[in-house]
Amino acid sequence: MKLIAFRIRNFRSIIDTGWQNISPDNITCLIGQNESGKTSVLEGLRVFHTGEISEDVLRSDLSLPEVSCKFEADGEAFLDKLEGAGNDLGELVKSQKDIIIVRSWKADLSSGLSIGGNILEHLEDIEGARRKHIEEIEKKVLCLDNDLVAAREKVRSAGNEIEKIEVELSEEPKKGQGIRFFKKKETDAGGNDDNRWKKLRDNLKSKKNIFEENSRYLKEREDLVESVEEWDNLKLKLSELDEKLKEVSSRLEERHQTMTLLSGPSLRDLSLGEWEGVLSDYKSATFEREEIIDKTDRQILLLGFLLDGMSRETAAEKSDARMKMDKSGYTPCLLGDIFFEDCPVFEIFEDFGSLLPNRIDLEDIVSANEEVEGYKAARNFLTIADLNYSFFQQPSTRILKQKIENLNARMTLDFQDFWQQYVGKKNKIRINFELDHYSTSHGDKAGKPYLEFWVKDEGERLYPKQRSRGVRWFLSFYMELMAASGKDKHLVLLVDEPGVSLHARAQEDVLKVFEDIKNNIQVIYTTHSPHLVDIDKLHRVLAIQRDDVENHRSATTILDAARLVNASPDTLSPLQSIMGNPVGNQEFSVDLFNIIVNDVGTFYLMTAAIMLTGYKGKIHFIPSTDPSSIPLMCNILMGWGMRFAVLLYNNDEELEIADHLKNLAFSDELVQEDMIVVMPEGFQNAEDLLSTLDFKRHVLHNREGITFSNSEYIKEKNLPRNFLLSKFLSNVKTGSVKRGNLDEETRENLVLLLNVLQKYK
Amino acid sequence: MKVPSMNEERGSLDSIEFAQAMDDHLSSLRYARMIQQALMPDSLLLSGILKDYFVVYLPKDIVSGDFYFAYQNGGYIIIAAGDCTGHGVPGALLSILGISFLNEILQIRVVPRANRILNQMREKVMNALNQRGDELEKKDSIDIALCVYEPFRGVLQYAGANRSLILIRDGSLKEYKPDKMPIGIAPLEEASFTNHRIEVEEGDNIYLFSDGYPDQFGWETNKKFKINKFRELLLSVSGLTMQKQKEHIEKTFLEWRGKATQIDDVIVLGFEI
Repeated sequence: MKLIAFRIRNFRSIIDTGWQNISPDNITCLIGQNESGKTSVLEGLRVFHTGEISEDVLRSDLSLPEVSCKFEADGEAFLDKLEGAGNDLGELVKSQKDIIIVRSWKADLSSGLSIGGNILEHLEDIEGARRKHIEEIEKKVLCLDNDLVAAREKVRSAGNEIEKIEVELSEEPKKGQGIRFFKKKETDAGGNDDNRWKKLRDNLKSKKNIFEENSRYLKEREDLVESVEEWDNLKLKLSELDEKLKEVSSRLEERHQTMTLLSGPSLRDLSLGEWEGVLSDYKSATFEREEIIDKTDRQILLLGFLLDGMSRETAAEKSDARMKMDKSGYTPCLLGDIFFEDCPVFEIFEDFGSLLPNRIDLEDIVSANEEVEGYKAARNFLTIADLNYSFFQQPSTRILKQKIENLNARMTLDFQDFWQQYVGKKNKIRINFELDHYSTSHGDKAGKPYLEFWVKDEGERLYPKQRSRGVRWFLSFYMELMAASGKDKHLVLLVDEPGVSLHARAQEDVLKVFEDIKNNIQVIYTTHSPHLVDIDKLHRVLAIQRDDVENHRSATTILDAARLVNASPDTLSPLQSIMGNPVGNQEFSVDLFNIIVNDVGTFYLMTAAIMLTGYKGKIHFIPSTDPSSIPLMCNILMGWGMRFAVLLYNNDEELEIADHLKNLAFSDELVQEDMIVVMPEGFQNAEDLLSTLDFKRHVLHNREGITFSNSEYIKEKNLPRNFLLSKFLSNVKTGSVKRGNLDEETRENLVLLLNVLQKYK
Repeated sequence: MKVPSMNEERGSLDSIEFAQAMDDHLSSLRYARMIQQALMPDSLLLSGILKDYFVVYLPKDIVSGDFYFAYQNGGYIIIAAGDCTGHGVPGALLSILGISFLNEILQIRVVPRANRILNQMREKVMNALNQRGDELEKKDSIDIALCVYEPFRGVLQYAGANRSLILIRDGSLKEYKPDKMPIGIAPLEEASFTNHRIEVEEGDNIYLFSDGYPDQFGWETNKKFKINKFRELLLSVSGLTMQKQKEHIEKTFLEWRGKATQIDDVIVLGFEI
């Protein structure tokens, strides 16, 4: 998969680069002042691949980094990787021309991958629907919960009432007692008492009904009651975990703050072991939280099924099955992991970090001790030589030496081939390595094996470090490339300031090497050097600068080739070193909007058209020498950071140029719309803006019948176009040709042209 | 028995050869007429694109310098009636050229404008006849009335090279005047034809015609029919069906001409909106 664009957020000085396109011809050049953030971009891309970051990449607000990469992809090929994907997802993946993969980091600086773009939107829609379903059940459950609380309350209060009434009723006199002792009185008050006892009995009955009814209600919902209680417990647990996570995260942030701002010892001043404890707490809390969320979801699904009237067993089975189904689907993270397998390898090549050491212990290579100087180069060397540790365990020293000699001869030949092929010059240097053992004078190391590297030139034996910078750089680069070519994945090579201290000619050789490898390897490099920017290919340039160029703590901004107009002069200095400064040249205007046209003839006619229409917009036409030079003109204006657009006519050559520009510098759709204008069909060149009659009358000054377009007529008759059109302009300037002299067809065409130019006012 | 003299014998042979030659010539002309008519739209095409129409086509000779043309391009219907300089074979050849040029111009996929079609046609005719404005060159040309009907907008564009267009609506007649220049070289430098934009209504009758009808001399009067009388004739028949109009117009012409010689080709094309 080829990298086509990237977006980096919250990484060192970068807040958000926005989507930045990689040059489609595989060489992308980052220019900018020191401290502008060029290297951060390279590092951002590297950590997309490795996932490993340290606190020092965090911004001061501690927002966590996120790097997204867009890769060219064949959706159909991906289908094989997605067994059991639903029809919708399958079709969506199949239709993809590119894939976005996002790597984001968490508070513990661990990272995860996720798919992005419209596949993510699709999955989010599905998850959204699932969430909505769960929320709907939750609402029902909350209503039920309220009902249960109310029923419990009713049972409780009815129970109390019943108890009270029964106590009161126990005082009710037995029949006959009243008659015997309070006969008369009973006659007066007896009616009232009877009513009272009757009321109490009725009340008792009613309370008993309430009690029974609500008890029955609760009894019938025993399963639900139990499940709702479990759900409540899970929710409580989740909120406790959230609290815990919040606390651990704030402790982590505190550490990040300490590490990023170097603000002295931590407030808590915890030992490394204690910090590891905090990290472990964070990880376990995160893990546990995920589990509880799953359990809560399952519980709510179960409640949903119970509410539908299912038995507890059936509901449990159904909710388990549903959870299993949901979990077995493709999640954004899972897809991110799957697609990442096909992503290119992002490798940083550091000029002399990748340089062969004079000497390195075999033990350090075997134990992959990256801290040791030259480890990477030595590892590359062994990869190219296809050697592993067992090679050095050869019992016979004679055989081992012979093998090493053979390898040295092969490596030398290969490197000489590389040098000649890419740098185009002959070089007789020979690469040698030897296996030796430390003598007794080396204390602990005595007897241990080490590798020693040499570069021989016409009999002179020198350590790599003693060689010229050019040889060292190309040797390192050769080894990096060779080591990478052994990997079966596509490579994105990130090169920070290649050949920074090389002579100008050697720097141009570096660029030549990039050109030669670009079909197999994508190169993204940073530079300050004008010799490492190809003037003809400024579409490769991404300008990197700070929002506030005076303030090195302000955020980094990236400007693609079409937006170099917004770059500061310092940022553009490598380009202006090649092209000179535009200000002295009056043909170009910084204040006006520059419109590149195909040639001088068109320039004359367009200028005449502007005069005839009385257009007041601040535009300025710039003639190219011919259509094929338009891209170069674009490069120059881009390099000078000028506002410009290209006005192309509708002929085969210019349509091809439009495609070329769109594919390169103007790849962003919005920019395409504004910066490349192709005249409608029928306007093959500028003279076609005039009707045939006006062309005959004001340009040709003859009455011959013209049966094809004006531009075709000029070509067919081999007429001096520039001369004719310059004369026309001169007649317009003197007033011999006025707007009123033109027929309605020409006037209509001029209005069309004005509409095109309006946007550049 | 008189023995024919050498001259008499030759004369009789010449007349046989002449008759033979005439016969061949007529056969060629008849064949040419067939080709000319094949280039003009047939009734199937016309009835397919027009609501109702008639064509009065009365060539003076076997082949005609008058022609009519119809073409449908997307939502646009292009109708024209042309009259080439002269009549007979030269006129017929020019008419074929005119028809071919119109077909060629209308192949280009742009919104058709009546005046621009004529502008382009003039360029093609001038180019074909190698006309550059020199005094001694041939001045052959075509007079034509051409309209572009846009049924979806209810608009009829009209441009005329010396040929007008008559519109009759609810019993009243309006004539749209042409530009006084032909399709071909003219003494004055070429200028753009005027594009008339006419908003038409259902039931409007449109007439395009050559000057053959109004210029025809009458047998009885020895006078031209004249344009005013022609206008009156159109007005009088405009309420009839197109078929009836055709019959009436043809009948009137034949009656007017009587035994007089037809002086020019005649084309009258009428159609209903």
